[in-house]
Amino acid sequence: MPFRQKLKAIVLPFTVLSWLILLISTLLHASPATAESLGLPPQWVTLLAQAAFVAGVFVYQRSQPDPLRGTDFVGLLRRLVLGPGLLATVCVGLHLLERLIEFRQPTADRTLFACVYTINLGLFVVFLAYTNYSWRSLVLFRSSARLRRDWQWFELLLGGTLLFRLFAWTPPVPVAYFILGGLAVFGVYLSGNQKWVAYLNRRQKWEVVFMQLALLLCLGIFTIYFLRIAQDPKLVAPAPQHAFLLLTVFFAGFYSLAGLLVTFFNLPTAGVFEQKRDEILSLQRLTQLIQKGQTEEEVYQMLFEAAIQTVEADAAWLDIENEGQLHPAQLFNVSTEHTQAIRTLLTDYNLGQIEYLNNDLPNSSGFRSLELPYGSLIVMPMRSAKRQYGALYMLKEQRQSFDRENLGILQTFTSQTVLSIENLQLVAASLQNERVKEELKIASSVQDSLIPKDLPIDNWFEIGSHALAAKEVGGDFYDFLHLPGKRLAILIGDVSGKGITAAFHMAQMKGIFHALMQENPLAKDEREKFPVPSKFMSMANRALTHCLEKSSFITAALYIVDYEHGGFVFARAGHCHTLYYHSIKEEVSYFRTAGLGLGIIRNDSYEKHIKNQFYDYNPGDVMVIYTDGIVEARGANQEEYGEERLKQMLEHTYYLEADEIKQQILDDLNEFSKGQPMHDDQTLLVIKFKAAQPEATI
Amino acid sequence: MKINQQTTEDTLTLSLDGELDASSSVLLDTELTKPEVLDYKKVLVDCQRLNYISSAGLGVFISHLQRFQDANVKLIFFNMQEKVHNVFEILGLDALMTIVPSEAEATAL
Repeated sequence: MPFRQKLKAIVLPFTVLSWLILLISTLLHASPATAESLGLPPQWVTLLAQAAFVAGVFVYQRSQPDPLRGTDFVGLLRRLVLGPGLLATVCVGLHLLERLIEFRQPTADRTLFACVYTINLGLFVVFLAYTNYSWRSLVLFRSSARLRRDWQWFELLLGGTLLFRLFAWTPPVPVAYFILGGLAVFGVYLSGNQKWVAYLNRRQKWEVVFMQLALLLCLGIFTIYFLRIAQDPKLVAPAPQHAFLLLTVFFAGFYSLAGLLVTFFNLPTAGVFEQKRDEILSLQRLTQLIQKGQTEEEVYQMLFEAAIQTVEADAAWLDIENEGQLHPAQLFNVSTEHTQAIRTLLTDYNLGQIEYLNNDLPNSSGFRSLELPYGSLIVMPMRSAKRQYGALYMLKEQRQSFDRENLGILQTFTSQTVLSIENLQLVAASLQNERVKEELKIASSVQDSLIPKDLPIDNWFEIGSHALAAKEVGGDFYDFLHLPGKRLAILIGDVSGKGITAAFHMAQMKGIFHALMQENPLAKDEREKFPVPSKFMSMANRALTHCLEKSSFITAALYIVDYEHGGFVFARAGHCHTLYYHSIKEEVSYFRTAGLGLGIIRNDSYEKHIKNQFYDYNPGDVMVIYTDGIVEARGANQEEYGEERLKQMLEHTYYLEADEIKQQILDDLNEFSKGQPMHDDQTLLVIKFKAAQPEATI
Repeated sequence: MKINQQTTEDTLTLSLDGELDASSSVLLDTELTKPEVLDYKKVLVDCQRLNYISSAGLGVFISHLQRFQDANVKLIFFNMQEKVHNVFEILGLDALMTIVPSEAEATAL
């Protein structure tokens, strides 16, 4: 505060100056010889200097920052005792020194005496100012606005009494009593504000009691000194500010005394206060643990320690339920045999897992037979609406040691703990959920990038395609590759498993497809340049042997369509049967060929389980290729869509364009599985062969 | 999914009841992984009440196939429902595994 700083900058030199004037004036009074040569200062100068000095010290002290830091009351008192205590020592020291000198060389010279007196007066005023403003901090600690206003009035009125002496006015006796008495009562009223004592613990209270005593001693030393000095014949200086000093000494002393008494009488209850405080702190610590996201073990440990500390148990243990079995997770001063005996006994009495307080164990027949070294027992179960977490057992050696309040606080502790534990579980679950979601996001984006975006276009055939990934991502994939000589390779497949693993294997399969469908430069004739589908499958099976985990497999079908010669060859490795419309026979049927999935047999014998199927197609023929997500889609009664219904759909739609056929099938499928969750990816390719058209028309 | 076990001197019969999907196949895998399973000469799987088998369920049988063969333990399925049999057949497993219509035929093998 700039104003406060400015004020301090002015007040300090002003105060020092006043004191020097006071000193000089006192010295002149004390040594008439010097006074004769210099002339005696007028009385009012001394009085003014005196009043100005006192006012200056108080105003300076008032503008100092609040000596109370936070709730460090002991620190405040310690500084008070050390600082002003030192002043009192100096005062006594100076006085003794002066006496000593006088004793050695008795003299009529009063200069030294006057000098010491003035210094001591200064010290006393500083001491009072410091003490009063320390008391202000205590009085105004967490105070109301009204109290703050009262204090200001007190200061103002006290300052007013300074004027009495300045004008050398002594009020008539009843008025003086009235004024002094009134202010003293005001001081007593303010001394009633000892709220701060409640914030001390037992040890601090003892410290405070001793410090208050030390402070009263300092105050006493000063007071006795000045009372004695006042009767000293050597004293020639004008009497100090009686009214003001008297009142401040009274207030400082009374507040100190009141504080001392309040603290002293609070000592017996300090333990209770501390216990309550500890309970609140433990609760706070327990609550904070939730936010820190500690482990369950730490929460239980926390509960256990807090509970023992709070109810001051002599022994305790904590049972945690794990897979329907209770076992002690924490033990304190109790043997496993005892815990087992008590637990069995409680279960026999049908008291297991309920709140239970027994303050007289030796008088309960069951417990007496156990010959336990304990007199009192509390059992506090930990449970939520959903489940039982365990129970807390507290033991004390004395009988009648627990009360209803202990039960209440333990209840709060355990419910808080259950809350924390459930919170932790929720957090863990949501983290896991988040991780799975993230994984699925990656998997579906991988899957999405593996599916070809552009369908092959030619005037020999039409293709309609549909690929829909289930929420959990199955492992469907398909791909096309143009081969030289008007040939097209189509691969469709399904990887077992879900999520990121499935996506990873799909990527592998795509890589294998593109790697194996490369032209072999060493091939002797045209037919050997590219592997036939069965050869492709056995090579793929070998490639997958080492990178597919044991329980995983892949179903696939590879079709190589030669639309120059109007035929195709395919091999089915455990994949769904191909549905086909024969335009000449006008019938729909499945190609029921044998063929084993990839990754099931992991040696060369696989070749025996895979066959090629050749077929010459006719214009108007329709081939439907799909994954099991289509035929295994569930209807309202959990029945599957099935091959038969798919076949019937093609019988009704074969004459349409490929895209329309696909759409009709999908509409029917969606109608069938309306309202049912989608369990697996669905992939559907419809290829319709067309009559050869002259290329020139392109 | 419930798995019931029945044992005779050299035969372990597992009766599968319900749907064998990703979660229940873990149960089955635990059963089949037990080392004592290989002490039997035959492991029969009763599929009468098996309504559905997912690829994860098939994966469990596939992953134990080689282990059973190496230990000379026969793995035989019987009483299989049509649609479950279809799944085995599509994947080509009918050529690798022994699937017979009835329990009598399974024990006779």
